[in-house]
Amino acid sequence: MGGCSAARNPRSMILMADTDTLTRTRTATALDVPWNVVVHDDPVNLMGYVTWVLMKIFGYDEKKAAILMLQVHRLGRSIVWTGQREKAEFYVQQLQAHQLKTSLEKSA
Amino acid sequence: MKIMPTLEGGLRIEVEDAGDWQLIKGITHDAVSCEENLANRLGNLIKDPAVAPDWREFIVPDLAEGFSADLLYVASLIAAARVEADGGPGPLWITRDDAFHWYSTLNQARLALEERFHFGPGEAIDPTALPPAVRSAFLRSQFYCAIQSLLLEYVMR
Repeated sequence: MGGCSAARNPRSMILMADTDTLTRTRTATALDVPWNVVVHDDPVNLMGYVTWVLMKIFGYDEKKAAILMLQVHRLGRSIVWTGQREKAEFYVQQLQAHQLKTSLEKSA
Repeated sequence: MKIMPTLEGGLRIEVEDAGDWQLIKGITHDAVSCEENLANRLGNLIKDPAVAPDWREFIVPDLAEGFSADLLYVASLIAAARVEADGGPGPLWITRDDAFHWYSTLNQARLALEERFHFGPGEAIDPTALPPAVRSAFLRSQFYCAIQSLLLEYVMR
């Protein structure tokens, strides 16, 4: 995409010495894929605790946290948050620190 | 043993004899009874190759340190209360500030027992049909679960 402006500018070329180096810079841009934070069901973590943790970490209200908890319980897993990779990693770390079975996956 | 909420928003465990202290001490023993530690087991859930190597190198040790700190803290509280009661009848207090350390420790114990014995949902199990060692582990897990439920109901609100 990008090229050195001096290489395209005849005046610049005249001013350059023989030993000067031309530098070409390429810039590639790709879309950042969103990542899902997934909580998995397990027979140990109590439903009230899972709700409490989701409220504490994401700031969800009790109703939203309870809906996500029930998804975990009934469907075996729930995507509790989707977004930027760094933030997703942070949330997974927080959820694992609270001993919830949590994974990270690229959003489809 | 009796467990009751306190006016200060915590729990009081009324330990009655040496057998009760043994049972309470068992929490931290059960928590480390699994061959693979909890941090590693959680780390195994991170499978994406873009994330997994760094997770193993940086996050898993950090998690392990946090879990271990909770265990050591609760073990020290139990030991101090036991000394205070001279191994006999006496109270064990769970204050609001200590509640999460206790919950974490009890959860680590239950997760380790589940990993070892695969009980599944507790209500589907008939303890009388289990071999003695497994039955004992199941009943301990149910006991830990009962304390966790009290913590959630009365302390961690």
